[in-house]
Amino acid sequence: MTAPQGPLTATGEGVGLPVPPIPPAVPPAGRWYQFPSAAGVVGRTAYLALLTFLTAIFIYPFLWAVSASLKPREEVFDNRLIPKHWHPSNYLDIFRGIPDIATGVPFGRWFFNSIYIGILAALTVTISSAIVAFAFAYFRFPLRNFFFGCVLATMMLPGAVTMIPVYLIWNKLHLTGTQYPLWASNLFASAFYVFLLRQFFLGIPRELFEAARMDGDNYWTMFWRIAMPLAKPALIVTAVFEFKSSWTDLIKPLIYLRDDNQFTIPRGLYNLLGVLGPSAGGHGDYQIVIAGTVLATLPMIVIFFLGQRYFIEGIATQGRKG
Amino acid sequence: MQGWRRSLAFTSLIAALGVLAFTATLASAHSTTKKAGTLNIMGFGTGDDVAESRAAIATAAVGGDVKRPSGAFNDQQFLAAVASGNPPDLVYLDRQKVGTYAAKGAFQPLTSCISSQKINTKQYRIPALNEITYKRKIYGIPEFYDVRTILVDNNVLDMAGVKLSGLDTSNWPKLLATAKKLVKIDSSGKVTRIGFDPKIPEFFPLWAKANGVDILSKDGLTPHLNDPKAVAALAYAVSLVNAQGGWDKFKSFRDTWDFFGANNEIAADQVGAFPMEQWYYNVLAGSSPKVKITALQFRNKKRQPINYETGSAWAIPKGSKNPAAACTWMKTMTSTSTWLAAAKNRASIRKAKNQPYTGISTGNAVADQAIYKQTYTSINPYFDQAVKKVLEVQRFSFNVPASPASAEFKQAWNDAINRVLAGQQTPKQALDQAQKESVAAIKTATK
Amino acid sequence: MATATATAPGPRVRARRWFAGFASRETWAAFAFLSPWLFGFVVFTAGPMIASLILSFTDYSVIQTTHNVGWDNYNRLVHDPKVTTAMKTTLIYTAMVVPAHVVFSLGLAMVLARVGRAAGFFRTAFYLPVMTPAVAVGVLYLLMFNGDYGLINAGLHFFGIHGPYWTTDPNWVKPSLVIMHLWKVGASVVILLAALMAVPTYLYEASAMDGASKWRRFRDVTLPMISPAIFFIVIINTIAALQTFDEVYTAFFNASTPYGTDASLFYVIYLFQEAFVNFHMGYASALAWGLFLVIAVITAIQVIGSRRFVYYEGNKR
Repeated sequence: MTAPQGPLTATGEGVGLPVPPIPPAVPPAGRWYQFPSAAGVVGRTAYLALLTFLTAIFIYPFLWAVSASLKPREEVFDNRLIPKHWHPSNYLDIFRGIPDIATGVPFGRWFFNSIYIGILAALTVTISSAIVAFAFAYFRFPLRNFFFGCVLATMMLPGAVTMIPVYLIWNKLHLTGTQYPLWASNLFASAFYVFLLRQFFLGIPRELFEAARMDGDNYWTMFWRIAMPLAKPALIVTAVFEFKSSWTDLIKPLIYLRDDNQFTIPRGLYNLLGVLGPSAGGHGDYQIVIAGTVLATLPMIVIFFLGQRYFIEGIATQGRKG
Repeated sequence: MQGWRRSLAFTSLIAALGVLAFTATLASAHSTTKKAGTLNIMGFGTGDDVAESRAAIATAAVGGDVKRPSGAFNDQQFLAAVASGNPPDLVYLDRQKVGTYAAKGAFQPLTSCISSQKINTKQYRIPALNEITYKRKIYGIPEFYDVRTILVDNNVLDMAGVKLSGLDTSNWPKLLATAKKLVKIDSSGKVTRIGFDPKIPEFFPLWAKANGVDILSKDGLTPHLNDPKAVAALAYAVSLVNAQGGWDKFKSFRDTWDFFGANNEIAADQVGAFPMEQWYYNVLAGSSPKVKITALQFRNKKRQPINYETGSAWAIPKGSKNPAAACTWMKTMTSTSTWLAAAKNRASIRKAKNQPYTGISTGNAVADQAIYKQTYTSINPYFDQAVKKVLEVQRFSFNVPASPASAEFKQAWNDAINRVLAGQQTPKQALDQAQKESVAAIKTATK
Repeated sequence: MATATATAPGPRVRARRWFAGFASRETWAAFAFLSPWLFGFVVFTAGPMIASLILSFTDYSVIQTTHNVGWDNYNRLVHDPKVTTAMKTTLIYTAMVVPAHVVFSLGLAMVLARVGRAAGFFRTAFYLPVMTPAVAVGVLYLLMFNGDYGLINAGLHFFGIHGPYWTTDPNWVKPSLVIMHLWKVGASVVILLAALMAVPTYLYEASAMDGASKWRRFRDVTLPMISPAIFFIVIINTIAALQTFDEVYTAFFNASTPYGTDASLFYVIYLFQEAFVNFHMGYASALAWGLFLVIAVITAIQVIGSRRFVYYEGNKR
């Protein structure tokens, strides 16, 4: 049995930051993961009970929201998990409005906006952060640690105080009032993902790169053909996390978007909340807002479900490939 | 992946990105150049029928080109717009914020607007105007007038054998005794019915005024938070809470109320009485029209009715590119004829759907009377009495004056009261601290 | 790698090598790769950061004319009782939430690692609260943590424990926020799950053959092998906890629930209020840089501490 290739972190020195290990070159025997087996029926039942209990706690808020979204206005907060009266027309009311209380909103348009802005944000940040992270992981160059320190430092200043200066920059570029500020800064990588992806790249044995270079690859091909496929799980995590981040962001659409048709879902729901509030003459039709919230969460669930499967399988496949 | 497949995948990825980016360009491309004559409003998106019917009239008056992105007024959004030199032409916001923005020079005084468009400021209620007047200049036009009356659940009083006269807010000891009679606490110490909810910290200005003191001087520059009368008022209100289970249990129970639902706290007889804004009658009439309620006025210690009012206002930011249209819009939205048209519209809609209609509290005294006379139709004796009472108390309203540090001032007394409720300070200590903080804040704001 | 030389190179040699580094092809390539980040960093990040640093020496309020006030803001910061309260609250909360987060997410990851077929469903279930918009979670917070009628205390009552008044008792507000935060460990669970699955199984087999108990296997095999991932999560979550805003704001400081007290005044909430409600942007910028200093120091300590506690296979870093 040859020694595992593991995390030979030739370039990880300096800043002294951690490296999650890459699966070993030697495929483990049998199943692709193996833990000491649970002790008998009692152990297994206890384990299942624990799992069910935890799952129940975690999905309760979402179940509550789904149930509330199907109730008529008077019953939204009655704390019953199964609605007493079913009112699925709430979902239609989002689009067509409640006559005389609120006009319908272009939810479909918001949905579409959120989707393509999310995709753009996720794709751009994944690719750009990977490029930058690879630089920090593989190359040796002066000021490398200083720059990486800068990367970390950008996460340490609360965004509230850079919000206005950043807005002014976009303003100078005449891009306020458009959707560009919502995703375009991802073209320049994001500190969090640079950190994450750097760790992954650090785990790739340097020998692989040396071999590629000797075969005549230049740096770019080496990056694209060797490093990227190996880091696929991390790239998927990055894409999914950033998609979620963009999907649920409220503050950027709030200050950059001016036209209703440009809104993303959180921005639209914020508006609905204001319109349906009681002092504006409405009755507090929260059931519509909650229905909108549920609709907004569904695509995220699908994307995460698909993404996590790919990501976990990616880890498994790497283990087998070696 | 093999070489060519990889290249293909790569190329398609880039192509897809390109298509997406292009779509984004198309979708976002909006002519950011404002056409001359466009009116950009911030803080007033699509609303209910009362808002929309008036907006239609106002849009016509302005000549048609109005942009109203949705969403309530948001400070960050407004500040970002101002910072970039691109403020909206007109904003719609809470009256209590106007003073601070005016003091900072973010809004223009409306003197020329009022005179050139001949806006009759006498039709608006004086406290509402006072709220948006700073250093003797008017900075806004008021819209809506939220007044507070005491909402009484007749059932609860009957069950406890208490008469309406027991809820007289001019007689504090008597009120305390009544609350104790009305409250229900079960064997485990949990509150199962609140007798009288004093609504602190929200309505602290009301209690202070009832005891004869204004928490802020009329010019908005001198707080009186630790005036002995204010301290006494707070102490009394806290004693009401303590006599009904203490803040922890009191609030825990109150948080379980289904405020907007059919099984709300009145329908479920979970509270005896509490002061509340008038729009709640509208909600009640819709969700539980069969409740038996009475509306009482809040009285000060001299038995005079008093009432604390709040609402919204229109204001013109400095740097507005279309102040003339903004002025016309404001005037039209709040004129008597517009309000009346909106009220008639709503009355007929509600009638058609067989839903009750409780009138509108506009802030325009002339409009209020006209609306009541011409559009109100009886619902049932209980709600009729409530609507009438709301109309009656309007002229006894007072306002918290405009101040250059209104947010910090409100924060100071809010925090103070929360500290007292949490048992961390006595009323005197808390209000002394709040006084110190507000004085410092106003001083900084007026440097 | 080069073998160790008999004597370490002297300072002049090292300096010459450092400068020579700029000329090498590798360096040029590196900077080419870094260029997207460099450009964005300078324009969109460093620029605004420097701007906010400059603003912290002024009385910038966005609306009024700005004046230089020198060290006034920092002076005020040091003497501001609210800053002391807010910093204390934030630090205590961080000290509570980060260990809780790590332990809980690790526990969950370990439970999840054993699941066979329906793994995808359970992983999605645990990530669900992270995806649920804050609106729903905020509403539920008040409902679940209600002292007399909430689900949490109802559950505790089942075990004979009389639960505290989570939302109103100043001593229990922070713990309740910690528990509410634990709902959102989904992201960390995903990362830890990947790390757990990457531990080579032959290590477990070997230690089993040596007769090690389950606990010792966990302590001596699992923990060191995933310590890099744990460390990553500790760093990220400490920085995040010190900047807590969203969850607390929705629960305690939005317009319809103005019941924020000192116990729930977090540093960034105070910062936000000063910036956007009270128009003291200059002071808020000073507050931000004050926090930056604290975060930088704490992160540095954690990094130095990692040299002792984090294990890298091959002992190379």
